[in-house]
Amino acid sequence: MAITVDEKSLKHGVLSLVVTLVEVIQEALERQAVRRMEGGDLTVEELERLGDALLELDEAIEEIKADHGITESVADLHRGLDEVVDDVVDKLVNPARWAEEARR
Amino acid sequence: MTLDDLVEVLLNKGAVLHLDLIVAVADIPLIGVSLRAAVAGMETMLEYGMLRQWDADTRAWAMRSAARHELELRAGEESVVRMYGGHLLDDDFHTTWRPGTVHLTDRRLVVLRRDPREVLWEAELSAVRAVRLESERTVGGESRTRVRVETADGAGALLSAADPERLRDLLVRTCPGPLTSDGPRSPLPGPDERALVEGHLWYREPRRDGPLWRGGNGRLTPAGLVWKSPLDARPALVLPAADVTAVRPGAERGPGGEGTVFTVETGSRGTVTLAADEPRRWVEALGSPRDAPALPSA
Repeated sequence: MAITVDEKSLKHGVLSLVVTLVEVIQEALERQAVRRMEGGDLTVEELERLGDALLELDEAIEEIKADHGITESVADLHRGLDEVVDDVVDKLVNPARWAEEARR
Repeated sequence: MTLDDLVEVLLNKGAVLHLDLIVAVADIPLIGVSLRAAVAGMETMLEYGMLRQWDADTRAWAMRSAARHELELRAGEESVVRMYGGHLLDDDFHTTWRPGTVHLTDRRLVVLRRDPREVLWEAELSAVRAVRLESERTVGGESRTRVRVETADGAGALLSAADPERLRDLLVRTCPGPLTSDGPRSPLPGPDERALVEGHLWYREPRRDGPLWRGGNGRLTPAGLVWKSPLDARPALVLPAADVTAVRPGAERGPGGEGTVFTVETGSRGTVTLAADEPRRWVEALGSPRDAPALPSA
């Protein structure tokens, strides 16, 4: 069977992967930002700056995705990663699943 | 549980790795490794008393250099609009979109990246000659409207913007001189040229040791047919429309099965044999390339 590797689809795939990873990092940053904000030792000015910067980061990523037309594929990939993680974590915390699987 | 939740739990709890290792030969230690690593959210780090000084120093430094990285306006200059956008860098090495913010003032059009700060592209409004909206196919295959700006020195730029129509309208209104806002498209046969048919296409390439079917991408435009393999640097087959004398379905069996082959008679290259999953589309479009309707994506 012939495998066609299209330069464009390769670029598309790599770009989607990178942007998805950036999104995961962005999400982690946002959640840690909330913790720091609730931690209460940031000044008002720092809170404002942090909020602005995160908002801008979010808009910039949306813009990059739209610019390259990869919004859909990034969403798909993100969902796929979530499913894999869910699956693995579920197996790790519920050893009963292994038995289930072995029985099947 | 999503990946994001997993990362959050990891960062909130924190993870510590402590590794001591000795590599020995004949019980004589030769190489030592002593590795300590901790990864956690900053809040957790501080709870455990780690990196405290660094955290304080960083924030103090940011306080001192609090100058915002905004666009500096000249005396009397007024901002008209700012929106997210980018500039297409296209030199000999790269062709890449660089994201930033498009600032339109009453004197200049600037694409600025704030951090690390760099003016990606800049033009005086008095030098802008034309502005056009162009549609471009992106890597992901979606269509996107860009703003082409041409300046007096003959150079120009392709910009992206969150709201390209608004940027164009404001630019036309703000520019002091008359502005061509809708002219002929650039004559370059770029990716914008409408494709009549495009898709996967097999090409039976004549070789010294016999013909060989190769898979690749075919693109038929009013100018002609171009076939390129993803493994090649340039198209292996370029048939100008004027060179095509006849097109007919082929009888032989192609790589995609029965009834997929068609042949193209040309003046300069003789008979060219191709195959596609839907050869009828290609045959019809090749037979009358000038009258065929363009794809809606064009």
